[in-house]
Amino acid sequence: MALVPLPDVVGTVLDGGGMTISEAENRALCESVGDTPAADGSAHPVWFYVASQVGMGPSVAELCAICAFDVNDGPMMASTGGHFHAPLMVGQTYLVKGEITGLTRKQSRKLGVMDLLEYKLHLDLPDGTRVCSVDNAWVLPRGRDNEA
Amino acid sequence: MKPEPGTDLPPYRIEHVDPETMKAWAPLLRDPNPIHLDRAAVRAAGLGDRRINQGPINLAYVVTLLHRAFPGAFIEDIRNRFTDNAYEGEALEARATVTGVEDTDGRTRVTLEFTLNSDERAVVISGTAALILPEGEAT
Repeated sequence: MALVPLPDVVGTVLDGGGMTISEAENRALCESVGDTPAADGSAHPVWFYVASQVGMGPSVAELCAICAFDVNDGPMMASTGGHFHAPLMVGQTYLVKGEITGLTRKQSRKLGVMDLLEYKLHLDLPDGTRVCSVDNAWVLPRGRDNEA
Repeated sequence: MKPEPGTDLPPYRIEHVDPETMKAWAPLLRDPNPIHLDRAAVRAAGLGDRRINQGPINLAYVVTLLHRAFPGAFIEDIRNRFTDNAYEGEALEARATVTGVEDTDGRTRVTLEFTLNSDERAVVISGTAALILPEGEAT
């Protein structure tokens, strides 16, 4: 299988629409991991990841396609991080903005050739107030039959 | 609890990684990645024979540990590396150690290092967190 060239995607804008964390989804998420929904209306912190992924412009499959990668080939998360200026709140709409910050080809002993996709997203209030910033990195395995 | 550097928080155990949880999170994440839903897809990817827990679920287990140790705390920052997969059916344990405690504007800020460990293998995720404790919970 021929190795696809590394596409030039750094700077690709990932701005999406609004994303609102529903009470029902927050409850389901909390209870699935042995947690209790907060009484003060704040959402489970891991929504930093979930809301930014759901609210960014492209879907996961589309983000992979931007990087010339088929989502069915099994992308894997490498790292994530969220920095909060305030808690995320249930029922609040957040605007998701961001961009791809890196796509680097590497050789992995376990996976063979892989591309490391890095992107940054922000969750903002509709008035522009920044609530949370998110750093994500994904591994896109290109196959053990390939060499970098 | 009163945090001090070096304090190990009470661990949080997950006795059985449930594929039903993976199925429930897939629509939340709008993520069709089949390695979380289909054993054949996991095999095809050369990643074993068991469905793989979505990474954010693994991180959420750690948040449960932090919430239980520090009820009402504001998580200001949390970040981690995914060093291995967590597979359906296996047992995990979230662990965290306090690395720092400081007073900031009358509030107590606690920093921690954490891991999520598989009983079968080793560390699944590792990372750091910073929490602001509720007012009145000073060191």
